[in-house]
Parts: sequence; C-alpha cells; structure tokens
Amino acid sequence: MLQFKLVLLGDSSVGKSSIVHRFVKDSFDEFRESTIGAAFLSQTIKIEDKGSQQEVVIKFEIWDTAGQERYKSLAPMYYRNANAALVVYDVTQQDSLAKAQGWVNELKTKVGEDDLVICLVGNKLDLCTEEGESSSKPKAVESSDAEGYANEQGLLFHEVSAKTGEGVKQVFQSIGEKLYEFKKHELANSKGRQGAGGDTVNVQLQRPSTNDATSCCG
Amino acid sequence: MMDVERSRHSMHPGSSGSGLRHSPRETAVLIATAGNGYPKKSPSMPNFHEKPFTSTNASEPILNSNGLPVSSEYVADNSGVQSLTDGDASLSVIEMYGDEVESRRPENEDGGNLEGDEDADSDELELPTSGMPPTGSAMPNSDYFDRYGFKKQSNLITEQDYDEWWENYSQYCIRRKHKWKILMEKSGLPMDNDSPNRFPSRSEKLKRYVRKGIPAEWRGNAWWYFARGQEKLNKNKGIYDKLLLKMDDLLKSKTKSMPDLDIIERDLNRTFPDNIHFQKETFQIDDPPMIKSLRRVLVAFSLYNPKIGYCQSMNFLAGLLLLFMDEERAFWMLVIITSRYLPGVHNINLEGVNVDQGVLMLCIKEYLPEIWQYIMPQTSSKHFSLNNGTSLLGGNDFLYKLPPITLCTASWFMSCFVGVLPIEGTLRIWDCLFYEESHFLFKISLAIFKLCEPELIKLKPLRNGIGKNPIRGQRGSQMSNGESEMEVFQIVQTFPKQLINPNELFDRVIFKRRFSLNKLDQDEVDRCRKYVSSQRLKYKHYSEIMGTGHRNNNNNSNNNSNDIGIASSSSNSADGEKMAGDIINDALSSEVYGFKKGLGGVHWNNSIKAKVKQMRKKKG
Repeated sequence: MLQFKLVLLGDSSVGKSSIVHRFVKDSFDEFRESTIGAAFLSQTIKIEDKGSQQEVVIKFEIWDTAGQERYKSLAPMYYRNANAALVVYDVTQQDSLAKAQGWVNELKTKVGEDDLVICLVGNKLDLCTEEGESSSKPKAVESSDAEGYANEQGLLFHEVSAKTGEGVKQVFQSIGEKLYEFKKHELANSKGRQGAGGDTVNVQLQRPSTNDATSCCG
Repeated sequence: MMDVERSRHSMHPGSSGSGLRHSPRETAVLIATAGNGYPKKSPSMPNFHEKPFTSTNASEPILNSNGLPVSSEYVADNSGVQSLTDGDASLSVIEMYGDEVESRRPENEDGGNLEGDEDADSDELELPTSGMPPTGSAMPNSDYFDRYGFKKQSNLITEQDYDEWWENYSQYCIRRKHKWKILMEKSGLPMDNDSPNRFPSRSEKLKRYVRKGIPAEWRGNAWWYFARGQEKLNKNKGIYDKLLLKMDDLLKSKTKSMPDLDIIERDLNRTFPDNIHFQKETFQIDDPPMIKSLRRVLVAFSLYNPKIGYCQSMNFLAGLLLLFMDEERAFWMLVIITSRYLPGVHNINLEGVNVDQGVLMLCIKEYLPEIWQYIMPQTSSKHFSLNNGTSLLGGNDFLYKLPPITLCTASWFMSCFVGVLPIEGTLRIWDCLFYEESHFLFKISLAIFKLCEPELIKLKPLRNGIGKNPIRGQRGSQMSNGESEMEVFQIVQTFPKQLINPNELFDRVIFKRRFSLNKLDQDEVDRCRKYVSSQRLKYKHYSEIMGTGHRNNNNNSNNNSNDIGIASSSSNSADGEKMAGDIINDALSSEVYGFKKGLGGVHWNNSIKAKVKQMRKKKG
C-alpha cells in the first residue's frame, strides 16, 4: 500500500470539506459547518499499474483546511511534506479562481518540489447545470480559462460537483495515478536504499527530507 | 420543538417579530432606525427561563414589532414541525425533555462524583422525589433534537446513545439545579422567576457548583454575571445600537463597503446547520431570526474591532451565545471572549493562536509527559540542533515550530470547544470559562489528552523507548512517520466528539487532585503566555536578522518548519544555520520556562528542576 499526504486549499466556502466528504463518505450536506483549523480524514483507492496490470492500493491521508484568508499563516503546517494538493475554486465565483491561483503560486514557491502533484478543481458544477432551477447560477469561470491556466502551470484539472458526486472520484483517481507514476520512478532510482522488504512496499507518507542524510541516517 | 418557537414569541410579543418579512438588508435598516423599539432580546433566543406556560399565554396572538399579527408565512416558517394549535402548550422547553421534572428515583450519587472523598457535597440534600418520569417523548421532535435545538445524532453518537445517556444526565441536571436553588436561598438571592440575575459571591463551593454545571435555564444570566458583562455594557451604553446604525449606513452606501460582510455571509448558514433555530426550511424565503441576529452581531463586531474583523470560529461563539442571551449581551460577551479570555487569538495574523498553542504544548510536556511523546514533533529537534545533536533553545524549539497536532487543537481554543465536544460538554466548559477564566481551556485540553491516553497507547508501541525522541521517517521503520502521526491526529480529533457525558471529563480528571494538571491556574497561564509570546518574538527577530526567515525558504518543504523557522534556510547553508542557532541559543536558552512550584507536586517539581539544571549545565 502506498500512502500519500493530500492537502486541500482554496477560498472559504468553495466546498473543500464537501468534496472530501463526498470522496470519503459518499455523502453531501447542503450546509456544512465551517472548518476551523483542520480536519483529518483518510480514504483508499485502487489504481492499475499500467506495466504489470496489477492493482495498487493507494491511501490518501487528507488534510482539510479552513479557507479564510487569515488562516494562511498556518498554511505551511498544512502543506509541508504534502505529496499532493487539491486547490479548489467555485465555478460560480470568479474571485475564488484568483484565490486558487494564489495558492498555486504559494505552493510552487514555498514547496517548489517537482513531484508535488497539484490538482486544480472547480466545484459546484451542479449550480450551473440545473436547468430551470431557481438555484441555477451563471458559470463565472469558463472551463477553458481554468483549464488553460492549469495546463500552463502543469496542474491536473477537473470540474466537479460535490453535491451530485460528478467528477469527484476521477479527481482522486488521477492524482493517485500521477503520484504512483512519480513513486515508481523514484523507487526505480533508489532501489536498494529502501530497507523495506516483502511483497508490499511501505512508502513513507511524508517526503524524505534532504536533510535526512546528515541528521537521521548519518 | 414547537414549544420553543412558541415560547420565545409569546415571551416577547412586542419585539420578537421585528423585520420578519424583510430582507436582511431591510432588516438592518428597520432595526437600526427603530430606535427605542429595537429588540434587545434575540428574536430567536430559546427560552429556558419560563415556567410552564399558561394556556392564556400560548393562545395569545404572536405579534411582530408593529403590533400586527405575524403573517401565516412566518408561522409556517417556524412551525415546520408542528402546527401552532397542537397541544402541549403548558410544557416549557426544558420540561419537554424531563429536566424540570422531579426525579423519579431517590438516587443521590451526586452526579457520579467518583472521588467522593474529594468533592462530596456534604451540604447537598436528598432530592424530594415524585413518580413522574421524564417526558422525553412528549414532543415528536424531542426524538431528534435536544433541549437547545441541536440534533441529538452526530457522526459518532446515535440517537439511542443520546437518549440512554440523557435519561441519566437529565436527572443529574435536576439534582444539580435543586442544589443551586438551595445555595441561592442560603445566599439570600432571589430566583426571579427562574431567571436569577445575581449569583453567590465567589468561593470554593461556588466554583465546585459551577464545575458541576450551571442550570441550563440560568446559563445566559450566569455567564453574563461571572464574565462581568454588565460592567462592560455600562461603560459602553448605546454602542451596539450605534454599530447597527453604522452597519445600516454602510449597507446603503454605494461607495463604502464592509470587507468582512461577504465572508460573514458565507458562514451564516454554516453555523450550527444541525440546530433547528439556525435552520432555514426550504419553503422559507427569509432568513430565520437567529441567522439575522447572528449576522448583526458579527457585522457589528467587525466594525467595533477592525483589528479582528471577522474570524471563522467567531460564528460559533456568537451562535452559541445567542442561544442563551439577547443580541446585545451576546455582542459584548463576544468582545469579552476575544479580548479577555483569548487575546490575539482571532487577530488577522492569528499570533494569539500560536501563542496559546505554544502554551498548551508546554503544559502537555510539563503535566502529561506520558502524552508528550506521542505528539512531540519527532523531526523537529534536528532542525534546531547542532551537528552534535544538542538541542537548541533548551529543547523548547516546538514553541516556534509548533507540532502539527496544534492544527487540531487550535480550533479547541478558537471556538472555545464549540463543535469539539457534544454540546452539553461544551456548555459545562463555558460555565467554567466564565467563572475561572481562560486557564480552564488549557486545563480541559489537558484533561482530554489524559482521557485519550489509553487510545494512544493502543495505537503503537513507542519505537525508541519512553522519553526518547523517535526519529520520524526513519527509513525502514515499521510504521511510516506519517502514518502514526495521522493516527494520533485522528484520535485527538475524534475522541472528544464521542465524549457524550461531560462528567467523564470532570469526574475522571478535573475533580481529581492527584492529577498535577489541576495545579494549572490563571496566574501560570498568564505567565506562560507572556513567556511564549516573548520567545516567539525574539526568535522571529533573530531569524530575520540572520536572514533565514521567510525570505529564504525556497526549499523548506524538506524541513519541518512552519511559519517562522531557522530551518527554512536552504540546506546548504548549514554554517549560517549553526551560527544563527548559536546566537539564538545564547539569547534564549537562559530563559527556560519554569512552572510554578506548588507544595504538593513533588514528582514533577523534581523532574523540572533536574531538567533546568541539565540545561544550565549545557549552556555553561
């Protein structure tokens, strides 16, 4: 089993917790309590190793965070050692995309790891597609714009609805696949260094620190 | 639950309906311009104070502020569960759940006080009993909601769990209230129609009574009294009304805006969505009165204190206050909480959170060393240590780079345990918070950790032995560091939510003198807060001088640094790091925090003494 730390970032009330709950518990509440600080959940998925066609189990340790701007000062604690980041915006709120882009920049400058998988996710797709419903809202962020940005930045991109569940699984599936790709590559490069044996490779959740060489194994 | 609605409207027929058919903006206008007619009572305040309602009362038409009968739309709004003409008019909210009902059993175990030798209330009398069982099933909705309107069921507690527990706990509440009444009588204080405004003077006995729970119906008044709310209000008469006027002006103004309004709006419906008073039925056009009150209190606060503005978690503080007191009082209590009890915690930079979390970590290390080993950031020492492995800063580096567990415990403080524990537990903590001040939040946090201990022990054998700092992420270790870290988080996050019975916390930890954590007092916390904040400041200052702070942290994902950290220097600047470390060490290590040496605490005193000696030696 492979484990990865995944952190959710994004403006307040774009639906970070709702996406997590859809993914972990397959449930949805119209009104979910604001997240204070952070919440921790975990969920496993299976992906297929494209080479060996074998199933690989991936466990996500999910850190759900509070979205308000001022919580940003706590953010480094959230995303340190993260393997993946899900940066969420609300497709009906243009502002929220700008905030998401801010998070992407922060991750790129502060974490700056090539193998950090960042996925840009537009949520609340259901609000735009319920035809004739009074709750229907215009889509404020065009898919092509967000996707264009994501491609430019090398991010994964999905549009989802935590309410209907549309697209949510695919988000985690694609992140899992990408992480596995990286991990496989890394394992291939560092064979022999890892002490783990047996059939299962226990891979650390957290990134190996570059300082480890001196401080922990030295 | 219908009675809740009815009771509060029949309670304040002249004011409760204000602005019912207006949009939020119009409401603000209406209220701000209403002058003397402004409803000081929260329109949605559930009423625990009333004795059973007379039928006259219940049959009175519900009036809005204009004296007009409330529209049928509104009646429908609030009676989504039961029509107004149904029976049970003579039951109060509390009675519906059996709280006012005389105990049916002559139990006198004093609420399960396990350590009777310590805190037995010898002064307490047997309760007269009558044969009436709790009437928990009298109201259809009592099946789903508790006496405050919260859904009984949660992710971790079933309705059946709740009902079983409540059957006993409601009896406990009755007994406690009876004892309170006797105490009030002895102190010559009037009960004022079950809504007393004055309480006995401070004493060990009163403290014990408060710790065993203030009667739910008295809570609003008691909190207000113990927190000296009236004093605050008297000094600031008319301010709240002025703030509402200002809010109204700003809402009308096209040029000026309220920066916090948008973010407040987003949280209004995310405040107690499981509480009937905060719920908006699908057929409701307008916000429920409680949501309107919440909006006004939060906006008024953001105008009153722009340094804080609005911080997520304040919605829960204000929301809970509004269930127990009127708007203006709730507003001033929010002011008191954010300034007196939790200074700086809600400020824009959240530094107060970091300080309090630093204090909590120090306290855990001091009072619960057996727990500390589970939450100690296991990699942190390397970043602050010199190459020879000596830890800098007297081993207190965790004050600057807070352990990740603080992401979890920060919310305990920010929301004063709202949502952290089931509601009755939260209320018991609030009782003590207003009587004993903020150190109680630390004490109860320690108590929660103490109760978590068996689960933490189950979790994993400590790899490197007690007291030693197991190295996280060591290659080949049986459990990856992230895995165990996450499991600790999950326990600390989940455990308190399952604590349905508040007496678990109080009887098993808080009332036990043998736990040294009970020595923690306000003085200690105040001193500790000063220490942590000055250390953090100094550290920040030094790391800025050395240029190893924020600006030079391109590579810091590999370090366990957080917001400020020498560790964030790039990995090849080990020399610089060492130098900065030395300077900081020199400057700070002489200031190791020493907990107060109480008379009884021989063991922990000796251990801290030894530690301090060791540190001094190292430094010398």
